[in-house]
Amino acid sequence: MSARREVIPPSDAASRSGQPASMAVRGGDFLFVSGLTAIDLQSGQRMPGTTASETRQILTNLRQLLEAAGSSLDKVVKVNVLLHSMLEAPNMNDVYVRFFPDPPPARTVCGARLPDGVKVIIECTALA
Amino acid sequence: MREVIAAPHPGLDLRQHYGHHQSPAIRAGGLIFCSGMLPVDPETGERRHGTLTSEAHVILGNLKLLLESAGSSLDRLVQVHALIYDSIEYDVLNRVYRQYVANGPPARTVWTAQIEAGFKIQLDVVAAA
Repeated sequence: MSARREVIPPSDAASRSGQPASMAVRGGDFLFVSGLTAIDLQSGQRMPGTTASETRQILTNLRQLLEAAGSSLDKVVKVNVLLHSMLEAPNMNDVYVRFFPDPPPARTVCGARLPDGVKVIIECTALA
Repeated sequence: MREVIAAPHPGLDLRQHYGHHQSPAIRAGGLIFCSGMLPVDPETGERRHGTLTSEAHVILGNLKLLLESAGSSLDRLVQVHALIYDSIEYDVLNRVYRQYVANGPPARTVWTAQIEAGFKIQLDVVAAA
């Protein structure tokens, strides 16, 4: 039993990022989205800010990315949130609740040292 | 249906060598979920400590063996979590990683974590079966 694998066509930003990662890949019934940082999806420019502003930017991009791939925030089953400091979890959460439906997807939040001084990384798995 | 993927080489059975209570991989719903991959010798199970680059080569070689034994391959990876011991090695990781995911690379998230036995890298992956 093999599943279909399909790379979701990259946005302009993704194709210029130079990272050896696709922003999203479909595997079987699921869409796997790379850990996103706060960037402008068109230009690929980083948008560093507060935990709240980075979260807002990431989830705005995530919504656009999922919808472009035929999925949506309502179809997200699992989210992993990485924060530079767990003290910032409430600041992330205040923004997060405005993007996801109630009841929300499963989620794990943890503190981690993140590359390039970013404050938030969010990745998810959604129904395709 | 949930199917256990057995270790294709004796060294890749971490349960046998290190008592880890885990299967090498599980196939379910058309996907293969692999246990955290570590740089161990695929024949003996011996730990292969080294640089992040050398450890990554061992891990990706092991992953190739494991996935191919299950009828999948590195080209079928859909999601990769790369845990590294220090984010300063991010570019080093990319250099070696790139050699294995040439076309349409999988979705990926990289972060820094404390990895067992003082290893520098661990990969946690899902592949299409």
